[in-house]
Amino acid sequence: MAEPLTLSVWSEDGVRVADVVAALEDLRRPEPMPATRTSVLTLVVVATRAASADRALAALHELGGRHPARVLTILSDPDAAPSDAGIDASVRLLGGEADGKEVWFEDVELCVRDDAARHLDSLIEPFTIADLPVVVWFVDGLPADDDPLLAAADVVLVDARDFGDADCFGSLARVTRRRPVVDLSWQRLQPWRELLAGLFEGPDARPFLGDVRSVRVAGRTGPRHLLAGWVADRLRLPSPEVHLVAGEHVSMRVVAVAPDGRAGTFEVLRRDDERVVRARADLEGGPTSEVVVPLPDATPAWGLATALSRLYRDPVYEHALRAAVALADRR
Amino acid sequence: MDGLDSERRAPPVALVVFGASGDLTARKLMPSLERLAARRLLPAGFTVVGVARTEWTDDDFRTRMAETVKNAGPEWRDVTSRFRYVAGDYSDTSTFERLRGVLDDADRTIGTAGNRVHYLATVPTAFGPVARALGEHGMARPAHADGFVRVVIEKPFGRDLATAHALDAELHEVFDEEQLYRIDHYLGKETVQDVFALRFANAIFEPVWNRRYVDAVQITVAESVGVGHRAAFYEQAGAMRDIVQNHLMQVLACTAMEPPARFEAASIRDEKVKLLRAVDTLAPDEVIGEVIRAQYERGWVEGEEVPGYREEEGVDRESRTETYVAMRLYVDNWRWAGVPFYLRTGKRLPKRVTEVALEFKSVPHLPFSSALTRGLDRNALILRIQPDEGITLRFGAKVPGQAFRIRTVSMDFSYGAAFVEETPDAYERLLLDAFVGDPTLFIRSDEVAQSWRIVEPILQSWADHQAPLARYPAGTWGPRAADQLVEREGHQWRSP
Repeated sequence: MAEPLTLSVWSEDGVRVADVVAALEDLRRPEPMPATRTSVLTLVVVATRAASADRALAALHELGGRHPARVLTILSDPDAAPSDAGIDASVRLLGGEADGKEVWFEDVELCVRDDAARHLDSLIEPFTIADLPVVVWFVDGLPADDDPLLAAADVVLVDARDFGDADCFGSLARVTRRRPVVDLSWQRLQPWRELLAGLFEGPDARPFLGDVRSVRVAGRTGPRHLLAGWVADRLRLPSPEVHLVAGEHVSMRVVAVAPDGRAGTFEVLRRDDERVVRARADLEGGPTSEVVVPLPDATPAWGLATALSRLYRDPVYEHALRAAVALADRR
Repeated sequence: MDGLDSERRAPPVALVVFGASGDLTARKLMPSLERLAARRLLPAGFTVVGVARTEWTDDDFRTRMAETVKNAGPEWRDVTSRFRYVAGDYSDTSTFERLRGVLDDADRTIGTAGNRVHYLATVPTAFGPVARALGEHGMARPAHADGFVRVVIEKPFGRDLATAHALDAELHEVFDEEQLYRIDHYLGKETVQDVFALRFANAIFEPVWNRRYVDAVQITVAESVGVGHRAAFYEQAGAMRDIVQNHLMQVLACTAMEPPARFEAASIRDEKVKLLRAVDTLAPDEVIGEVIRAQYERGWVEGEEVPGYREEEGVDRESRTETYVAMRLYVDNWRWAGVPFYLRTGKRLPKRVTEVALEFKSVPHLPFSSALTRGLDRNALILRIQPDEGITLRFGAKVPGQAFRIRTVSMDFSYGAAFVEETPDAYERLLLDAFVGDPTLFIRSDEVAQSWRIVEPILQSWADHQAPLARYPAGTWGPRAADQLVEREGHQWRSP
């Protein structure tokens, strides 16, 4: 879908939520025919930096018709001066075409200060569309365990890569106890996971699963921990056998031994100059197989589109996350 | 003239508003009259005569009423220029003598043809005295055979069954039941009326509208506002008298009643009464388990910190008045036996919303593994009464992709999107009904009595047993006890 058109805009500073809700209703009553809203979810973007909020919003607009949503972007500043009363708000009605069908959706941006920024849950409810999932996307940091926003969310959306350190996994694991978490980083790792699992398919490779000697996972902080956690959990490996190495791109290497003593190496990697992922299995005295798959679209919109199609608890991810916590604690 | 009137239009009439200087007149009645005027549904022979204690002149009244409507059309000032005002106490005979003179004058000068709609927008204690005075001063009966005199009464209709009967008796001393229009503005809402259209004009819904398919019904009337300036009234009423006895019971009746033979006042009201009569009353020892009462505490609503109920101006610091009620009722008839009806209402909830949700039974056998149906809920039909009026059907669908996964999706009908016509406000609709003499959406005395029959044992039990009063922070969906009420039978409150 092309970039959506802005059909109507309302914006005002120092207002109350009721004013914003009323403006939202008014925008949807243009003459002569009211706009039909097309939304499949309410997506709440929670940011503390304007640049992060803008980036998230840009990705959502690019996503456009695939997941038309009421998007509520909250830029919160709990430390702002109490004198800045009220909320700065803008509301936009957006429209466009996706697959030949007209879609209309709404953007609401709120700038919230002072104490109200510590009670964002109370801001969200009036904007949620009944019977549609509420996805809360934390773009600038993870919520605390007792963050009331979690109660307002059906699903929490994060990108573990954004948080930049391995300590986030403990917090993230605690969040999964309260709400399903969809992690964009986890979605991006799907080709690696699929390819590695695929290398063990078939009678030649499957016997090697019983005796994995070592696993080496390279990549950035975050993705490499998740992937290593996933391998460790799925293969029930003790964590000392999993080695983490910093790197620009994600790669995995598994060394295993078959019951008859033959060694096998299973590797999934991306080279610096390529937009493909390569998977290769070298089995001693046996076949060597190689698969090359193109990397999916790297735009944030693609990742979002995929993530928003899977708004449910993913036990495999949650187990991988817990294993990642153990790996991170090993430092 | 046949062929010219596509819409109903009011006949010549004088609307006499008792309590004319009050909030209801400015906030609801005048904006509704303005819309009727803008739609050309008021006749030339129309006026409003305001009656209240406030010492206003005709001009004061006209100016204030003209200003109650922001962005009014040009015709509104013309309409209000004919308004008249009578200042006086309702216990003072001269008030009604002067009113009689003003109305006679309006008949002569404006052409209101002797037709009257008396609107009692006063405190309930004034209903009886005003009615009696109208009778004593010859304003309770039409002046001629083709004319009419009607009385619109705002809730509450009594504090309990006995006082409701007493009020009826007082009113019936002067007026016939056919003259009485008890208003519950919920019935004037388009979506409540659409319950009738949905159920009785479509072949696909009514066959599943029963115990065989429906697992539970949830009716929610949620307000985000607090008690505001109504503390004095609310302290006496509480949520049970303010909302449950009238709005919730009416929505319940419209949702669950049998199809009427004809879409006319008597048939519809008969069916509503039959339904209310079938609602099982709770024994005193059942009340604590089946009805949760609670009061809001300080909290955050819509990004603002709000005081607890006991901190509100005019509220007793030790008040035990409930601002929240959740209850389970059963309707003992062939259609609904065994189906729980969960009703809830409250102030300072996270948002203002009214809805009816029918949750359907699960399929007898699900041929998919639990992993494939992780995102699948029970089918549900939701009637959104306010805001964002419409209907949603929730059902399972395959998630596109190679895997076979099923999750719940929503099929949405929105009034705003489906119709170009502007939805009339509830009061606008009901005022016009009162002018044209259509009582369908007003409440008959036996409906009031049946509602009290259901509610009164609960109030009595609360009074006798000092029923526990749970607390909930403002901005939440109510106390934990309310969740437990529905969870006992494997249900959950919806998040509307």
